Amino acid sequence: MVNPSINERGPKLDALQLVALALLMFIGAMFVYSATMANAPASLPWYDQSWVRQIIWYAIGLGAGTALCIVDYHILARWSFVAYWATIFFLVIVLVPHIGMTHGWGARRWIDLGPFQFQPSEFAKLSFILAAANFLSRPPDELKQAGIFWKGIGLMLLPFALILKEPDMGSALVLIPTGLVMMFVAGTPKKYLLTLVVGVGILGALVLADILFAPPALRIKMQDYQRQRLLVYFGANFADANATPEQKAEARRLQAKSSYQGKQSLISVGAGGFFGAGWRNGKQTSLQFMPPGAAHNDFIFSVIAEEEGFVGSVVVLTLYAVVLFTGLRIAGQARDRLGKLVAVGVVTLLFSHVFINIGMNIRIVPVTGIPLPLLSYGGSSVLCSLIALGLMQNVHIHRRGY
Amino acid sequence: MLIFDELKKNDPQLRLVAMVLAAGLCILLAGLWWVQVVSAHEYQSHLETQAYRTVRLPAIRGKILDREGRVLAENRPRYNLSLYLDDLHDEFQKEYNRLRPVKIATNSPPFWKLWLGSVLVKTNYAPMSKSEVAALTLQARYNVANNLVAQMSRTLQQPLVLDPKNFEHTYANSPYAPYSILSDMSGDQIARFEENFSVGSGVNLDLQPARVYPFGTTAAHLLGYLQRYDESIEGEDAVFNYRLPDYRGLVGIEGGFDAQLHGHAGTESMLINSRGYRQSENIIDPPQSGDNVVLTIDLDIQRAAENAIAAHQGADARAAAIVMDVHTGDVLAMVSSPAINPIYVSNNPAYLNDPKLQPQINRATYGNYAPGSIFKPIVGLAALENGLDPNEIYHVQSDPAEPWHGYIKVGTRTIKDTVPPGDYDFRRAIQQSSNSYFIFNGLRTGIEKIARLAEKFHFGERTGLPTRQESRGIFPTLNQVEDSSSWHAGDSANIFFGQGEMAVTPMQMAVAYSAIANGGKVLKPRLVERIEPQDPTSGEAATDFPSGVVRDEIGVSERSLKILYDAMLSETEDPKGSGYAAFHQAGSVLNIRVCGKTGTAQVENERGQKTGWNYWFASFAPFENPRYAVVVMVQSDVTIGSGGSVCAPIAHDIYEEILKKENAVAAKIVARN
Repeated sequence: MVNPSINERGPKLDALQLVALALLMFIGAMFVYSATMANAPASLPWYDQSWVRQIIWYAIGLGAGTALCIVDYHILARWSFVAYWATIFFLVIVLVPHIGMTHGWGARRWIDLGPFQFQPSEFAKLSFILAAANFLSRPPDELKQAGIFWKGIGLMLLPFALILKEPDMGSALVLIPTGLVMMFVAGTPKKYLLTLVVGVGILGALVLADILFAPPALRIKMQDYQRQRLLVYFGANFADANATPEQKAEARRLQAKSSYQGKQSLISVGAGGFFGAGWRNGKQTSLQFMPPGAAHNDFIFSVIAEEEGFVGSVVVLTLYAVVLFTGLRIAGQARDRLGKLVAVGVVTLLFSHVFINIGMNIRIVPVTGIPLPLLSYGGSSVLCSLIALGLMQNVHIHRRGY
Repeated sequence: MLIFDELKKNDPQLRLVAMVLAAGLCILLAGLWWVQVVSAHEYQSHLETQAYRTVRLPAIRGKILDREGRVLAENRPRYNLSLYLDDLHDEFQKEYNRLRPVKIATNSPPFWKLWLGSVLVKTNYAPMSKSEVAALTLQARYNVANNLVAQMSRTLQQPLVLDPKNFEHTYANSPYAPYSILSDMSGDQIARFEENFSVGSGVNLDLQPARVYPFGTTAAHLLGYLQRYDESIEGEDAVFNYRLPDYRGLVGIEGGFDAQLHGHAGTESMLINSRGYRQSENIIDPPQSGDNVVLTIDLDIQRAAENAIAAHQGADARAAAIVMDVHTGDVLAMVSSPAINPIYVSNNPAYLNDPKLQPQINRATYGNYAPGSIFKPIVGLAALENGLDPNEIYHVQSDPAEPWHGYIKVGTRTIKDTVPPGDYDFRRAIQQSSNSYFIFNGLRTGIEKIARLAEKFHFGERTGLPTRQESRGIFPTLNQVEDSSSWHAGDSANIFFGQGEMAVTPMQMAVAYSAIANGGKVLKPRLVERIEPQDPTSGEAATDFPSGVVRDEIGVSERSLKILYDAMLSETEDPKGSGYAAFHQAGSVLNIRVCGKTGTAQVENERGQKTGWNYWFASFAPFENPRYAVVVMVQSDVTIGSGGSVCAPIAHDIYEEILKKENAVAAKIVARN
């Protein structure tokens, strides 16, 4: 058990969490390499290789995280609403054509900054945590007021709606558990929370029912691919019972196409078996059954699982467990409710990412484009994960001292 | 555990959060366990199905050799020109990009890029619908392949066409397989190709064995032929994604020994990517070459027999000839005329199906023919064994209608004799081939005795050849001849001069004459001496087939045989013998004494009309110590002479070759000593 006296000597980082983070980053670089180099042209210069870029992003992220550790989170919290509204601004302008980039996906998620693009939704998650922590850290009595409660909900729904509009359902959805858990930990009265959970549940069920069973005229407007992914997940038949053979064939083709990625990731994970094929020996990536754009990105876990097997999966899960539970410990040891809420927010956000991402690789949740923190390739994701973890360490460092 | 401290802290909210987290992680762990440990097999096989293709690699077919090791059937390399679609992938993409419609658009780069000197005008690809993209992709693929084919067509100076439908079908189904565009290139074309194309250009030569018969139509019926057949044979993997062309033998040696010649096809496992292109190949089960089959045939004698038939009766003659070693049963030559090309598809179908020539029939073993007078020695042996005095004179009566012909009355029926009336002893009756003599003495001996002897010769039964082209012939059984209600003296009389209710194959006659010549052993004819591995260094043992396998003993005394030999010798040596002329032509220096019997059988259809003649000459030699039996049969629709004039000259030529070979062997032995 931890001896509290050790921690009384002043600022100190949570070493265990840092070790887990370092290992995750190491694994991330290794498997981004494995996922991209199998089919990379030999002429690709080293500085254009994804794994090098990933390491550069780790470095930038570590720098940003460290910078955030230096300033006391109380000072940061004072600026939280500025950050919040700034990201809301970016979330709005990313929807404007010519500013927001689609990358050919049909979703406007990126803002072009010359040498690189950034994804405002990633930063919105961070600023939301800070702003919500700041907002909810008021005295618990105030949280019993309905006005405060609804303001909190509004704080959550504004970025949620904007991100959903891009559309980026995965990123939008993780805001909900993050916000709810923070409200719960802050001490929002149970009746509000129950109402909220039941409300969200009913709404979710209605949306789902609409997608699966409603005739086309009554369907909620959403991207075709999103609907198809959900249909695939719930095993629905794409073809109408009274469709013509051509329509049925088309529906079958569409179904095969929509279920392709989920099916391939499941094959990757399953084919890994207990010990895996070995680093760089995964067939699914080298033979491009896993689409080359996705393997190092949202589906990096399937690459790890195929190449390192169940053993590798357990290692990854364990490392995440270490990060999450040390995070909760930080929350428990935090000096005040603000610190506790920041730490809990970060933990919940990370957990949501991990659960949804790994879950979609093994078909526990529908396929949604959501990165696996620190392992998936991508600057914004890496940067935000490290900044979030920096915030958590900040809470840890400044748990005493006043 | 250190990190689970929170679960114990007195903070109910955090504890609940920790529990939810732990539960979530446990769900993932359980899911991963299920997918990666419990169901791993299922997903591994999924991976295999989508990433591996198996290719059936046919084995190299064994050769067929003659008894001296000369090659009668072997394989030659055949070069085919194929497109390798996976090598063309980059070209497909380039062509697609070239074909894609473009539009010039004004760029609107962000302001900092403008400061950095970005240009305002850029070309954009015009947007296309999905079906347009698909059509263009298809077009691009076909263009690339077609250009390549056209280029090769110019280089090889041979018109080549690429069928768009077939090409797309192959591309969609097996892009990893070579797409053949020209098969069996000439050496000239191979040289031109090698000069102009390099590896990786998407077009390449692939090598497949092709069956070749160096001596053309020689022994074609015996060798049999092959048929394209890619299916798996017993004991091989049954499921392949792709099969290289393979063949199986249908009849003849190719058919009868297909299992040995064919070898064991191997399996190549091909790793393919999501587009279906080859990534790597790995032969997981190498093909095992087929074995060589060494025949008892002597190529020289075989060709001499074929040439003799062609020289005397023409290439279209419907004829058969067999040369057999009387002690071992080795078939030294087996000819069926007219010949066919053993490369079956090269034959003109009209010729193959000619109703008169029937070239597909192996007349030596598959045709049923009335033996005529060549059956008389068997009747004679039965009579001699049952008390016929060879010196006893039988007087052939003069036919009142044609006084220069003899005749005999059997019951109420009158049977004409070809010989003139007069006195005949055994020797003269054989030499002149008197029907009356053998009918009279046959009836005296009794049909049962003759049927019993015929049974020992195994008439009416297959001789047991492995070629799948043998008929059993026809001969009445003992039961049939003993049934007096349905079997009459006239039926017996017909048998005694080799007509009526009987038919033989030339092979049966060769076996019978060998038995007479070797002192009474009815042998199993041997066509295959041994089966040996194609690679002599492989260490596998060869299988030898025993020679001189005795099927039966005719149980005839030496005395009777000697009387018969003497009578048969006179057929070729007595100037009155029907085979004399053939063996005493001007310039013939045949230094061997041949015991022979000529025969001419009338062929009747079901309504009793004469439809043709079978001419025979059955013989063995040398008289002093017989070693070879030679049987020649020629069919004709019209009368063209007698067995002596039609067949004996062919036999003469065959004996000439046999002697030449013997002398050569003797000379070699002398030289060696």
